[in-house]
Amino acid sequence: MEPARDRDLTLPAGRVLGVIVIALAIAVLFNSEAMVRAGEGMQPGPTRDIVLSVARPIDDVAGAIGMHLPREGLDLAFGQEDKTASGTELERGSAAILRRKTQEQAFRQPTTADPLNVLVTGDSQAEFLGQRLIDQSPEGLLEVTTVARNGTGLTNPAFFNWEINAEQEVADRDPDAVVMAIGDNDGFNVQTADGSLYDPGEPGWETEFARRVAVVGSVLSGDGRRPVYWVPPPTARDPEFNAIYASQNRAAERAAEATSALRYVDIYSTLGRGRYSDSLTIDGKRVLARQADGVHFTREGAVAPVRLILDAMAEDFPVLRDR
Amino acid sequence: MSFPTIEFAAFFVVVFVLSWALMPHPRAWRPFILAASYLFYGWIDWRWVLLLIASSVVNTVAGQVIARSPSEAARKRALIAAVAFDLGLLAVFKYLSFFVSETDSALDSIGLGSSIPLVQIVLPIGISFFTFQAISYVVDVYRGETRAAPLVEVAILQAFFPHLVAGPIVRANELLPQLRTPRDPRTVLAGPAIFLIVGGLLKKTVIADELARRVVDPVYNEPAAHSGAEITLAFYAFAAQIYCDFSGYTDLAIGLALLLGYQLPQNFNRPYLALSLQDFWRRWHMTLSRWLRDYLYIPLGGNRKGRLKTYRNVMITMLLGGLWHGASWTFFLWGGIHGAGLSAERWIRERYGGLRVPAWVAWLVTFHVVCIAWVFFRAPDLATAFDVLGGLGLSGPSPLVTLPLVLLVVAAVAIQLLPPDWWRQAEAWFVARPVAVQGLAVGALIVASDAAVGQQGVAPFIYFQF
Repeated sequence: MEPARDRDLTLPAGRVLGVIVIALAIAVLFNSEAMVRAGEGMQPGPTRDIVLSVARPIDDVAGAIGMHLPREGLDLAFGQEDKTASGTELERGSAAILRRKTQEQAFRQPTTADPLNVLVTGDSQAEFLGQRLIDQSPEGLLEVTTVARNGTGLTNPAFFNWEINAEQEVADRDPDAVVMAIGDNDGFNVQTADGSLYDPGEPGWETEFARRVAVVGSVLSGDGRRPVYWVPPPTARDPEFNAIYASQNRAAERAAEATSALRYVDIYSTLGRGRYSDSLTIDGKRVLARQADGVHFTREGAVAPVRLILDAMAEDFPVLRDR
Repeated sequence: MSFPTIEFAAFFVVVFVLSWALMPHPRAWRPFILAASYLFYGWIDWRWVLLLIASSVVNTVAGQVIARSPSEAARKRALIAAVAFDLGLLAVFKYLSFFVSETDSALDSIGLGSSIPLVQIVLPIGISFFTFQAISYVVDVYRGETRAAPLVEVAILQAFFPHLVAGPIVRANELLPQLRTPRDPRTVLAGPAIFLIVGGLLKKTVIADELARRVVDPVYNEPAAHSGAEITLAFYAFAAQIYCDFSGYTDLAIGLALLLGYQLPQNFNRPYLALSLQDFWRRWHMTLSRWLRDYLYIPLGGNRKGRLKTYRNVMITMLLGGLWHGASWTFFLWGGIHGAGLSAERWIRERYGGLRVPAWVAWLVTFHVVCIAWVFFRAPDLATAFDVLGGLGLSGPSPLVTLPLVLLVVAAVAIQLLPPDWWRQAEAWFVARPVAVQGLAVGALIVASDAAVGQQGVAPFIYFQF
């Protein structure tokens, strides 16, 4: 029994259930788009299937009767940008993009008076790479902005469309160079423009992935105006992930050959000679280089891939060699 | 499973209904709530449940041996074995990597290159919390402060899902008596519960995540790239962020438990109104503070063995309290700052007993010492922490400093100024509304909190990593 002084704060359990049900119904109806998006962002499996099978019909109905409007107003008030859209090149484009010829151009060289404005972006792997790029680069030559979009990838544009996001980012920031570290979350199957469905590990998946890298790479580079250093995932402890990451690396290399100013940075086969290890030797000292998930770099370990990124950047900006 | 997710919303509705349906039948309710809690915990990795079960079994057996054995030596052995097991779990999962890595560095620095394998070990979520609860249980049984409980009760004490992942750290005599008496479904403390849940959600999404994303993370990631004004804002913003993140989580935990009929201990009591560090630790993470006091500081001798040993005990307690958060020098220094501050306060009290300091001066000094210590808590390493502190006065352009962000920091402190009576009156007013109005209001605030975080979703709670 509750103390008498708290009686005015109590309700019967049945009525509390009523409040919960009404509150969740309101949240689901007015938030149906977000619920679909959350479902799209889940890893493949029964939970994702259940969420999407419930959320999509509700979203159709809610959209038809104008229930998206309050949430859209709130998004506007909070300054949120939509990161999804249908019919984009990323989802529906042609593989002809992989047959294009690249055109090279020279880029403005940085000085301490006019440093290079570098955008480091991608998934959660981008976080430590961005942090370490600052302290590993020659002092005063780079101004680094890091924008990590956790849980995103190229194979799930219904959750997060990197083509849309790349357009928004380069329009907002107009960087001189971009480091794009992505792929950790790309275990989804992909559908090509002709409707074919491919699972990771199939040749069709790799080709489609290469096409998507080329699409996003082109947007980030402004069709060759600024260099983009594409950093696919490193080796992974889990053999299944490791095979997918190897495939992504081959795809990124292929895309880079067909896309102006898109540079493939190979940390997969360079670090640890292509063999996974929790530790790496950096400057003669062994460090725990990977986080417990066997994918992400630690802050200390991120120095190794960052140096490879700087090596790649020095090909375009020779002044970065002096570090 | 994290609280602000679709999976948890569905899980909780089912648990709420079944829990109240089974409440009159304790024999059915106990295995049910235990299974539900294990499902909650094992959602990400079921192997962690095995660890939790092992901890419950070992501590239950130890509790029974302590309670039944007539020999003091046998009771002590059982206590030491259980505490060693609990600390062993922490040592392996939380500190082994750090210890091996530091040993390797030390050997390397004196020219003795070692071949110790550096291995990264997965840290089971909540291990620091359920381990401390286990230690508290066996020590309380040993001290005669609680009765030895059967396995199912110890398992629920450790695994009850509202507090499992990040506290509050519940003592056996707070939860076990409640588990033994069915809750009354006619008097669910819905007013405080709903206010805590919605308030906790809004603190997390509108204040904590927003401050983290817009100013704290950018500045702490790259302090050298930011001006003094931006660093200063981040300095205060992290104090606001961690309060709203951690107390927001605790509010959710306490509110959810209340909806199921159980009262968990208070964990925060307007900490940024503290007028001394001692006062701060009576208001901040209160269940950890009292754990450290009852199971570490007092057994070390507390203040009973002279002035110097009191200072020593304070320092040991706070340094270990810092390391409880994680194996790093930054947490060590965070604990050290609080330990030194508490010792200094004690020294000043003893030396200048009658010294009167205006309340606003005491508040200002306390708040800033706490904020300086937070720099070490947040920074990824000591160098970054000193960069942040060193950058506080520098000039430069400050695009991150905006009025909405400053207002969010102010709001995080200002909400602690609201008189508790106001909340109580608001809760009573809310409870008296029709059910449709209540549901509509709660639903609208859920939609607003989701809109606040947008497409990137709710960031993991800071204390999940501990």
